[in-house]
Amino acid sequence: MDSADIGTITVRGGVTLRAGPAREPCFRIVTDQADMARFPEGSPEHRREMLHGDVNEEVQSLEIAAQSLADFPDAPWDIRFHLARQCWDEVRHARAFLRRLIELGGRKGEFPIINQEWGVVCMFDSLVGRLAVQNRLFEGGSLDVFKEGVAAWTAWGDHVTAEIMDAVVADEVQHVRFANDWFERLRKEEPRALLKAIAAMDALRVRAAALTPPEMKMAHEIPINVEDRRDAGFAIE
Amino acid sequence: MQLNVRQRGDHVATFRWIEVRLMETLARWVPTTPETEVKLTLGSHIWDVAQHADSLGRRTHELRLPPQHSLEPSAAYVGLLGDVAASTQSDRRVAAFYDCMLAGLARRYRDYVARVDPLLDGPTLRIVEHILVDIARMKTEGQALRDEVPGVASTDAAWLEGLRRREAELADIVVGRPVEPVAVA
Repeated sequence: MDSADIGTITVRGGVTLRAGPAREPCFRIVTDQADMARFPEGSPEHRREMLHGDVNEEVQSLEIAAQSLADFPDAPWDIRFHLARQCWDEVRHARAFLRRLIELGGRKGEFPIINQEWGVVCMFDSLVGRLAVQNRLFEGGSLDVFKEGVAAWTAWGDHVTAEIMDAVVADEVQHVRFANDWFERLRKEEPRALLKAIAAMDALRVRAAALTPPEMKMAHEIPINVEDRRDAGFAIE
Repeated sequence: MQLNVRQRGDHVATFRWIEVRLMETLARWVPTTPETEVKLTLGSHIWDVAQHADSLGRRTHELRLPPQHSLEPSAAYVGLLGDVAASTQSDRRVAAFYDCMLAGLARRYRDYVARVDPLLDGPTLRIVEHILVDIARMKTEGQALRDEVPGVASTDAAWLEGLRRREAELADIVVGRPVEPVAVA
């Protein structure tokens, strides 16, 4: 199958997403966050489930960057070059998390996975829209999440995983930054192109609200990772 | 006879076109390849071929072409790349990329090296040296993948041999630019 032939699926809230990328038979793929595994925070199962989810998140990030390279052959070369580098970074992250998962006694397919990021991002038909959502919003958000992850793994006494998390955040800064730099360039040279980014963000808000199960609203607010966000090109007040 | 500046520009821009097409092929395969390790290895090599394209693209500007300029190779070679890209089975993708296309491309780069003056075309040769080292590593990683993932360890030998033969028979794939007419006063 060519990746352009991947169709769509309809999930919770009647939201249409891009159908999932290919996975090995060992994985149980769910389309609803409510069907993901839940374990007591900090338990060995919870830690492995987190790492298992991180592997799949990184694989999805690889797939989204790769699909964007395939879908937008006329994009500026420097942006495609950044996307290609991002592919390698996401591969290294996935391998690091998978290696750690196995060291902690886990395995591929141990827990359900969900490919919602791919499903949401690959619905957008412009590179500007995809980068607005994937690189600026999702990867920007991961700067906060992974920083909190470093603190959590450190508190659990697992400095090896904490170090992996920290290395991943450092790489993710670059992915957010190249998108921010491109958007800044577009703002000056081709501001109308940014309308697609705004439209993508609007569409995302509607989809995210529909996709989140009511019982899964965020229990606490994740602190902003001010330093890395500033380094990635966000204006921090 | 050694290649002149114009011919070298044509070759470098054609190599760039091929590297970009390989990048796009790997990028298309990544979401549709189920085996995690295969997906990750193909994904990491996207960055390698992108770097090759970028280095060659910087060199095109030094050979009287625009920066990051590409020239399409012969129709037969484009057809071969298209057929490779259309492979759907993981074992065929892996064999086609590592055993046929990369191996053939390394041979074409070596042929190029033999056809240029190492002083006059030194900058291209440095780029090609790096690319050849990368290709050797990528092939080693492709073999390690076969050792690790039983599902891609072997492929249809007759099919692969046919693909290799087809690749090898395409001797001259550089089409180059049409000759500009000389203005007459």
